[in-house]
Amino acid sequence: MEINLAVVFAFLVVSGLALFVFLLVGRLIRPQKFDPVKASTYECGERPFGQAWFSFNNRFYVIALVFIVFDVEVVLTVPAVVVFRRLLEQGLGWLAFLEIVVFLGILLVALIYAWSRGDLSWVKALQAPTCAPVEVGDKERQS
Amino acid sequence: MEAVEIKNLLQQQLGVDIEWCSDENGVGDPFAVVPAEKWLEACRLARGHEQLQFDYLRALTGTDRPEQEVIEVVAHLFSYRLRHPFVLKTRAQRTQPVLDSISAVWPAAEWYEREIFDLLGVDFRGHRDLRRIMMPDDWPGHPLRKDYQQPDDYHGIPTSRPRAEEQAND
Amino acid sequence: MTHIERGPEGGYAVGPLDRLFNLARKHSLWYLLFGTACCAIELMQTGGPRADADRFGMMFRSTPRQADVLILAGTITYKMASRIRLLYDQMSEPKYVIAMGSCASTGGLFQKSYSVVNGGDLFLPVDVYIPGCPPRPESLVEGLMTVQRLIEKEPWLKKAWGKLPERSDPHLPKENV
Repeated sequence: MEINLAVVFAFLVVSGLALFVFLLVGRLIRPQKFDPVKASTYECGERPFGQAWFSFNNRFYVIALVFIVFDVEVVLTVPAVVVFRRLLEQGLGWLAFLEIVVFLGILLVALIYAWSRGDLSWVKALQAPTCAPVEVGDKERQS
Repeated sequence: MEAVEIKNLLQQQLGVDIEWCSDENGVGDPFAVVPAEKWLEACRLARGHEQLQFDYLRALTGTDRPEQEVIEVVAHLFSYRLRHPFVLKTRAQRTQPVLDSISAVWPAAEWYEREIFDLLGVDFRGHRDLRRIMMPDDWPGHPLRKDYQQPDDYHGIPTSRPRAEEQAND
Repeated sequence: MTHIERGPEGGYAVGPLDRLFNLARKHSLWYLLFGTACCAIELMQTGGPRADADRFGMMFRSTPRQADVLILAGTITYKMASRIRLLYDQMSEPKYVIAMGSCASTGGLFQKSYSVVNGGDLFLPVDVYIPGCPPRPESLVEGLMTVQRLIEKEPWLKKAWGKLPERSDPHLPKENV
């Protein structure tokens, strides 16, 4: 596979230049009127108050971690599968297969671990009680 | 129950005279007027009494009656269980209109009372959050009063347009 | 080829470059997705398939930063007026305002009401008035085409480079509402 690197270079240069030209022309023919009211935060016409930041659910962090791990697994498996036919011709078929299986096996163990811990479900089930449940006294409930 | 029977029951329970107005031709709903100091009690009775059980406050509005120097507050009630409607009214003094809030009896009354406060100026004692609901918060006056004068402008926006002839002369 | 347009400072020419930019602008008028009352329904229908506004290049945008034209579709109350003014202020130049329907033009049916502003031009500079209650989609399209005709005649480059006096906005609020 021979790539003419000059073509790639020319492509990058022209695209960068085009971007520069478009932004420059826009800047030249645009009216520039800065106004503090115009630059204020848009909230459908209401005046914003308070903070725009809020705390997000940290379940997303767990989901993102699990996703990254398995996504990288897929990314690393795909090239192996692509060149598998060529390796087969070279007689390295069994070795390649074994390597892929070992790789996937290690990550399968990771999947089983995450699954059994309950990390894959959005709402974790409550743990079973380990001690006797505490009775709420009836007299407290009636009052 | 018939409307007259409801009125008689209320009268007996409250112990005061209730004004009764019903059209013989059947035009318009018959209504009963309770004095302002018995308003909350009458409403509690209307909701709670087993023969009345008015669980649905259909509407709560007000009218300004300057000739009688009162602001009349009207409650349209209905009972889903016993299937009878009723109209209950009360009158508040126009110079300083104060009434008890019935939002504890029917939670729907909260916003209705805010509207009556906004447009007629009646102060509801015991209301959780009595403020304007329709007009802007800093609007002067109560628009549905008969002696209401429209302000000339609101924050720089004029409240009337110059007429076409005046505009042509400009 | 060149328009001569009369302005407050005398005449100025709309040259071919201006006409090019105006051509591009008038065929890409994006309106703010805004409506208060019944005229908004007709506005939605104008964007719908039968009286298609999209064939003129007019798309609705939800944010004023990307909108060219504010269509006041519906009755304007005093409570809403301050918010509309803020929306108009947050639009970038060049911007145009269309008062659609009788409520936005003069207060319409509700002129005597205590809560209705008697027309959008009491707090905004309006370019085009469209009569109707509500105006049919064809009328709204005619109003938008009137804005297009206004755009055709604008000396664009002079305006953009600030060489022309600004369009007067007598309704700039003196205080924050």
